[in-house]
Amino acid sequence: MAANKGMQQALVRVKRYLPEEQQKTQSEPFWQEFTVPFDESTSVLDALNFIKEELDPSLSFRWSCRMAICGSCGFMLNGIPKLGCKEFLRNYSVRTSPAQKNTATNTSITASLTVEPLAHFTVERDLIVNMDEFLIHLEAVKPYLIAETSTQKQLQPSLQTPAQLAKYKQFANCINCGLCYSACPQFCLNPEFLGPAAIALAQRYNLDSRDTGKAVRMPMLNSHNGVWSCTFVGFCSDVCPKQVDPAAAVNQGKVESAKSMLIQMFKGSTAHEL
Amino acid sequence: MSYKPTLTRTWWLKHRFFMLYMLREGTVLPLVFLLCSLSAGAFALQSVEQFASWQRFMANPWVVAIHTVALIAALYHAFTFFKLFPRVMPIRVGTKLVPPAIMVVGQWLAVVAVITVFLWLFVFSGAAHGIVAGPGGGV
Repeated sequence: MAANKGMQQALVRVKRYLPEEQQKTQSEPFWQEFTVPFDESTSVLDALNFIKEELDPSLSFRWSCRMAICGSCGFMLNGIPKLGCKEFLRNYSVRTSPAQKNTATNTSITASLTVEPLAHFTVERDLIVNMDEFLIHLEAVKPYLIAETSTQKQLQPSLQTPAQLAKYKQFANCINCGLCYSACPQFCLNPEFLGPAAIALAQRYNLDSRDTGKAVRMPMLNSHNGVWSCTFVGFCSDVCPKQVDPAAAVNQGKVESAKSMLIQMFKGSTAHEL
Repeated sequence: MSYKPTLTRTWWLKHRFFMLYMLREGTVLPLVFLLCSLSAGAFALQSVEQFASWQRFMANPWVVAIHTVALIAALYHAFTFFKLFPRVMPIRVGTKLVPPAIMVVGQWLAVVAVITVFLWLFVFSGAAHGIVAGPGGGV
């Protein structure tokens, strides 16, 4: 994106962290300001790419598809977890004061936002966070169809009606962007908490008529780090770019967990022995 | 080398969503006071003097004010709970999902029904049998 005449100017404050510099100076992460030209179609991701290409090539961030499919470009924008490609600078307009006038280009700052790495994750560099914890949690809930193992069954087609599909379809739309983990204060307090996306994924398979793995997943959901660590803050669903509603999935999981614990109580074994 | 930001004590002041969440969770405080008051009432049934003393305590303007806050808190908590309920326990009739608005209205109608039953039991029915509530009153 080249700076064209007639474009507006946005002040973008980016939280930087350069590990090699930190080693030399032992300083904290720091803020860096950039003035970025924008129009109606400039996304936050476009702005970051402009900074990297035209202003500071050392800026690091993840991105790929530019259309809210890959889930790579999650950032904290003005403190709220959002996808950079789905947010536009036009939505961050500010009232211009004379002090904000850029004297070099004789243009005014008409938009302003802060960009930080996703909250509650370890930051490796600039806007890049370590997603290992998140991926381990996703893997832990066995996010795949656990079906009948008999050869005869495997050879049969797995039919599913639209009504059966409707039960889990919403939870299958997750793109693993991790925004819900950045919105969840419980995950920050207890990183062992499975978290919204992983539990939504577990629910997605538990509700699938072709799956028979619910008994394998329930001990994890019943545990302290499972559904019961959630206090239904609900912000995870608010920030979800795909309207998966993970908070609903987690709390539906609580109903299932309570049922399975009651059943086990009457059967005379603990929930962990499911 | 890496760093991990920690959650500050004021994290819930940073967004309106979190403030409303804390308000919802905070509704438990006046309700705990109400529960303690009612428990004290149950213990006060041991003697007439104790019960009269408890009635005077309940008539204290400060106690009435806290109990009014508890009522508002309970209604606010019910409002948030009823709104969340259709997401936690979605009900399907055949292949169709019951609209959340109908479930919310249904829950409020249940609240009105329960209040009506209790009003009839303790106020109208009691008055008809000459039972008078309040300090100095009794069966």
